[in-house]
Amino acid sequence: MAKGIKDKVAIIGMGCTRFGERWDCGPEELIVEAFREALADAGVDRNDIEMAWLGLFFQEQSAGKSALPLSMSLRLPNIPVTRVENMCATGTEALRGAVYAVAAGACDIALAVGVEKLKDTGYPGLPERSKGTFDDLWLPNATAPGAFAQLASAYQARHQCNPTDMKRAMAHISVKSHANGALNPKAHLRREITEEQAMNAPMIAAPLGLYDCCGVSDGAACAIVTSVEKAREMGIKDMVTVKAMQLAPSNGLEMSNNAWDGSYLLTTRIAAERAYKEAGISDPRKELDMTEVHDCFSVTELVVMEDLGLCPEGGAIKAVLDGEFDRDGNVPCQIDGGLKCFGHPIGASGLRMAYEMYLQLLGRAGERQLASPSLGLTHNLGGHPFRNVASVSVFGLHSA
Amino acid sequence: MSYGILSFGAYVPALRLSRGAVLEAVGWAVPGLRGLAAGERAVANWDEDTITMAVEAGRDCLAGMDGPVGHLALASTTLPFTDRSNSGLVADALVLDNHLVTEDLAGSRRAATSALARAAHNQGAMLLLASDCRETRPGSNQEMLYGHGAGAVLLGEGKPIAEFLASASIHEDLVDQYRSADTDYDYALEERWVREEGYFKIVPSVIEQAAREAGIAVADIDRVVLHGSTSVARALAKRLGLAADRFTSDLMAECGDCGAAQPLVMLAHTLEQATPDQYVMVVGFGQGADAVLLRTTPALSAMKTGRGPSRYLARKRELTNYTKFLSLRNQISIDFGLRSERDNRTALSAFYRKRRDITSMLGGRCRECNTLQFPRSLVCVKCGASDTQQPESLAGLTGRVKSFTEDWLAYTPSPPYVYGNVEFADGANIMLEFTDFAPGEVKVGDPVRLVFRIKDFDPKRNFRRYFWKPAPVMD
Repeated sequence: MAKGIKDKVAIIGMGCTRFGERWDCGPEELIVEAFREALADAGVDRNDIEMAWLGLFFQEQSAGKSALPLSMSLRLPNIPVTRVENMCATGTEALRGAVYAVAAGACDIALAVGVEKLKDTGYPGLPERSKGTFDDLWLPNATAPGAFAQLASAYQARHQCNPTDMKRAMAHISVKSHANGALNPKAHLRREITEEQAMNAPMIAAPLGLYDCCGVSDGAACAIVTSVEKAREMGIKDMVTVKAMQLAPSNGLEMSNNAWDGSYLLTTRIAAERAYKEAGISDPRKELDMTEVHDCFSVTELVVMEDLGLCPEGGAIKAVLDGEFDRDGNVPCQIDGGLKCFGHPIGASGLRMAYEMYLQLLGRAGERQLASPSLGLTHNLGGHPFRNVASVSVFGLHSA
Repeated sequence: MSYGILSFGAYVPALRLSRGAVLEAVGWAVPGLRGLAAGERAVANWDEDTITMAVEAGRDCLAGMDGPVGHLALASTTLPFTDRSNSGLVADALVLDNHLVTEDLAGSRRAATSALARAAHNQGAMLLLASDCRETRPGSNQEMLYGHGAGAVLLGEGKPIAEFLASASIHEDLVDQYRSADTDYDYALEERWVREEGYFKIVPSVIEQAAREAGIAVADIDRVVLHGSTSVARALAKRLGLAADRFTSDLMAECGDCGAAQPLVMLAHTLEQATPDQYVMVVGFGQGADAVLLRTTPALSAMKTGRGPSRYLARKRELTNYTKFLSLRNQISIDFGLRSERDNRTALSAFYRKRRDITSMLGGRCRECNTLQFPRSLVCVKCGASDTQQPESLAGLTGRVKSFTEDWLAYTPSPPYVYGNVEFADGANIMLEFTDFAPGEVKVGDPVRLVFRIKDFDPKRNFRRYFWKPAPVMD
């Protein structure tokens, strides 16, 4: 009987570039920047790395297809490299590949890199793609904000909440993330904003205004992982281990069937339940010290707080406005600024979240360090609420 | 059993442009338009064209009618495709059995009345649709006079609401106006000449001939359906010795002249109000004339009301911004930014595999759990059973808005781009692009009906693709 991934794999080194409009960098520079930091952190030789995973979403528009962008940028010694893509869960998928390889005993040391170079596409948001599939014959040419805005309209309808209260809670989320991002030297957006600014910003896709939307950034993040045994052999005592990595893609139910009312994220609930089981968490509100969730839009974070069981269903507006997820709240969320302010280079985002967990758990988060956290959660939602890929991962301290 | 008109229908787009707004915008250059600046004209939304309007008129006409349609003809001077069956696309959108004759009738504003004249002789069963979406040059008389719309009649054996008595046709190459194959706009000749030499000489001759053939006097004609000009109709009434009100409304005040569709739109409007045993003369004019004499029957009173142009005319959205009108009809090129540059190539092989799914909005109903779903798939989304889905069109269903957004980032020729999740009967839920809603109009819980519209244009390859969109329900 499989026992899951808990405490089998340790993260021994991580790196992350500054996110933002990196006009100075292509994907190669971003990959190398993140990798150098991780390699120095892990204290291993580059030739000790036996297998690698590359997370990259926009292939031709960003860095190109296949393993080559990673293998060539790092001049890896022809080790196996696999490129993975699972929309916004791409970075987490790269890490999952590396973690599973180590857990399977296929190798001792594996590398995961996520990268995205978005600012060469010419688009202020995510780029448009060429059309040519069956979906294009019937699905709306939706944008991400438009798709996620609908969470708000369905949530309002389901919980009969006051739209202004909801907009204020969404504003609170963004104000909090901007405040956190201001403390993060690697964040894309480092300016604090006020609730009033967030409430009155130009409308992008109703009810999401400009400050309800995350940035579109260039960036890369990287992890080097090994088995707990090997880490112990390397003399690492307080190590960050993977407690759970779960993934739940839609099977089409949300988009095709009325069983889903549009007010929550079905796959996030499923992935969270599995991850809590894998990690042995029974009361996430008490046991989790922090989260990095997929706050592509403020409303996503709001709804995800419920989907992760961090507040009661229908209670997110109150919990957010009560500050439960602020830096000094019960379970701080987006301590690094989140997608909102750290930025969202798609392929790197999952690894960027893990990076913050890693730094916080090891007490290396500088000005934004929380008081001795020992367990944290990351969450990605790739795609749109009506069809998506959700990942929930848990990372924690493990004493050898 | 006898032959005649079994049903009728029409469609007029919701958008109406006040002619005063046109004058305000272009009167500085063409002050002479002042004389035409009364009332309003119907304007097809950016996603409407001859095909989509024909589909709506066809749905109006076929509502409550049963029996197969073996022949569908689409008459128009503005068929979007010169080589691709326009009528075939309409047939699919009307969810008709594909064993039928589809026929595109073009080349003349008389395309529909000539088909009626032919039907009077050969008594063929068919769904005759006429639809026109003529673009007009800014500042032209046509911009004031034209409207967009479609009409329909279902012809066949059964209990007709109107029977054919006679018809007469004449060809005279009086070029009152023309549009060459490679031009966008009509070129019109002097009105006084068209009136004197055209309407006053050619039209009476066919009316008299048709009446004579039917053995009635012109004075017996109860209703004359004549498109094109209100003042001409008035003068003709006098010449024919008929009271002016025998000529039915040409709908110029509320809709405008819908070209090849106008005789059928006016006929539908006339039949909405007619009583049994009335003689109705339908006239088509343009390089000659057709006159088709009908007599309404007692079955007309039993006809389910609610069809015809009146309810579409009553439902309207004012378009006050002339620049927006020009842009919706692609007469000026607004810079919609980078997102409008997206390549909209259609994978026509993929379309072919899914042509009925797309054009007829065929979903699937699972035999095992009765769940309706779109798109149809091999494995049921609800119960997981394989190969159990029976095709079923969702086009006629009323949906309910579950969630929506007004997106100002996405490209649409008419911002904001409104789309959302819509739920239908038996579990179906679909994310769809909405149409005909103004900003702030959609609410969660609203009922919506599906309409067949242009989904995307592909300007690089001069193609357009169609799909169904939720629109406000009809009152």
